Amino acid sequence: MTDDAIVRIRGLTTVLNGKTIFDSLDLDIPRGKVTAIMGPSGTGKTTLLKHITGQMRGDAGSVELDGLNVPELSREKLFELRERIGYLFQNSALLTDFDVFENVAFPLRQHTKLPEELIRNIVLNKLQAVGLRGAARLMPTELSGGMARRVALARAIVFDPALILYDEPFVGLDPIALNQVLLLIRTLNETLGITSVLVAHELAAVQKVADHVYLIANGKVVAQGDPATLANDGSPWTAQFFGGEADGPVPFQYPAGDYASALGFPGGKA
Amino acid sequence: MSSRNDNVVVRSLAQIGACGLFLITILAAIPRSFRHGRETVRQIWFVGAMSLTIVMTCGLFVGMVLGLQLYDVLSIFGGTSATGTVVAIAIYRELGPVVTALLFAGRAGTSVTAEIGLMRATDQLDAMEMMAVDPIAYVAAPRFLAGVVALPLLGLVFCAMGVFGGHLVGVTWLGIDNGTFWSNMTATVDIHKDIVNGVLLKSFAFGIVVSLIAVFQGYTTPPTSEGVAYATTRTVVASSIAILALDFVLTSFLI
Repeated sequence: MTDDAIVRIRGLTTVLNGKTIFDSLDLDIPRGKVTAIMGPSGTGKTTLLKHITGQMRGDAGSVELDGLNVPELSREKLFELRERIGYLFQNSALLTDFDVFENVAFPLRQHTKLPEELIRNIVLNKLQAVGLRGAARLMPTELSGGMARRVALARAIVFDPALILYDEPFVGLDPIALNQVLLLIRTLNETLGITSVLVAHELAAVQKVADHVYLIANGKVVAQGDPATLANDGSPWTAQFFGGEADGPVPFQYPAGDYASALGFPGGKA
Repeated sequence: MSSRNDNVVVRSLAQIGACGLFLITILAAIPRSFRHGRETVRQIWFVGAMSLTIVMTCGLFVGMVLGLQLYDVLSIFGGTSATGTVVAIAIYRELGPVVTALLFAGRAGTSVTAEIGLMRATDQLDAMEMMAVDPIAYVAAPRFLAGVVALPLLGLVFCAMGVFGGHLVGVTWLGIDNGTFWSNMTATVDIHKDIVNGVLLKSFAFGIVVSLIAVFQGYTTPPTSEGVAYATTRTVVASSIAILALDFVLTSFLI
């Protein structure tokens, strides 16, 4: 556990539709670092981000962000907190009615009364940072997946947040776009001191960018550490996950009854 | 079978209850939505002005067919001079607000549902939440207000076109005297009872119901293409039933 943690999760238990997603989960996100959350599909990585932002509440436990217990915050307090958080959605979630410039300007227009000239300067500055100043007047439908991801990133950093949450930022990107996003995450972390949390499956990318990795399975943290040593820590979880084995602690088969019985063969277990 | 029917009844009641709670949420968000005045004006243009063509065209044809049918029936009793009166009263009291609301549900209600449903499916509403922007105040309330403002105005346009259509058939085509057509109409039509209560009040009530259903269905749709398709269909079905049922209730109080 970390002394200087921006996010501190203790005993988080969440049950959705009868399925236990988190089972007394403990986890710290160190301030000023890039932390990767990894784990098999359906293990609740995006759900964890939603708990951190207060979009979801657990059945038990606490989620503290900068000392504030997120599930107990009122809607007004939660919105105040979210002005200090950037969130990059898996599908970018750009507002389709607005062009790139207006998408990035949207949070500024909603929360400030800055003069138009200043808004323009801030937006162009953020678009320059992600390499898309020239695309300011394009509509979201005219962007490639990688460009849309970078516009969403520009929007997420428009308020210079203390924390950015990236939900699968590398999915569907070609190697060039993937490296561009990697570079941006690292640069933002180093130049602005932003704490970054990313949910990802791409091991090579995570090894390049992350300072700390959590491996989540069965509702708990099953392994954690820096990415270089974690892959070789000898645990069956990391061996299966980082080795890409089809079967292991994470079963290949979704839980089901006896196969022979399901096919109607005599002698199958009832 | 009985339990399935029970489930349908319970689900329908739950939907109505959820819709009622959603209305309270929207009403509470309206003061905050005034910050997004430009968005409300944009929505009034979208659901109101963009519906003018269909409302004017349908109003004209409804008035024309009404003039034709009434002339045919009234000529049996030698009462064709009352054509204008009956056309006007039928349109102001019933056809104007009801048909406009049905057209509005089909033209604007469905597009509002589909738009909000797609915003839900593409995480745009969640993105607003994450940017500390309340989607109820920014998305739902302006669209709701736009419908409530636009429908009475569209109802008036429909009625004007309907009366014009009745005049076109009765006077220009079938030869009813122009002065008789207008004087009988103006002598019988009561501004308060027929225009204010008949057109404006009913359209206002229909505007609340149709806009609420359209926004609610879009906002609560499952984030899938099938979910958006079902929500759009439900907007038309629920709005149509609600308009006709509410029309009976309002008429029984207003008549």
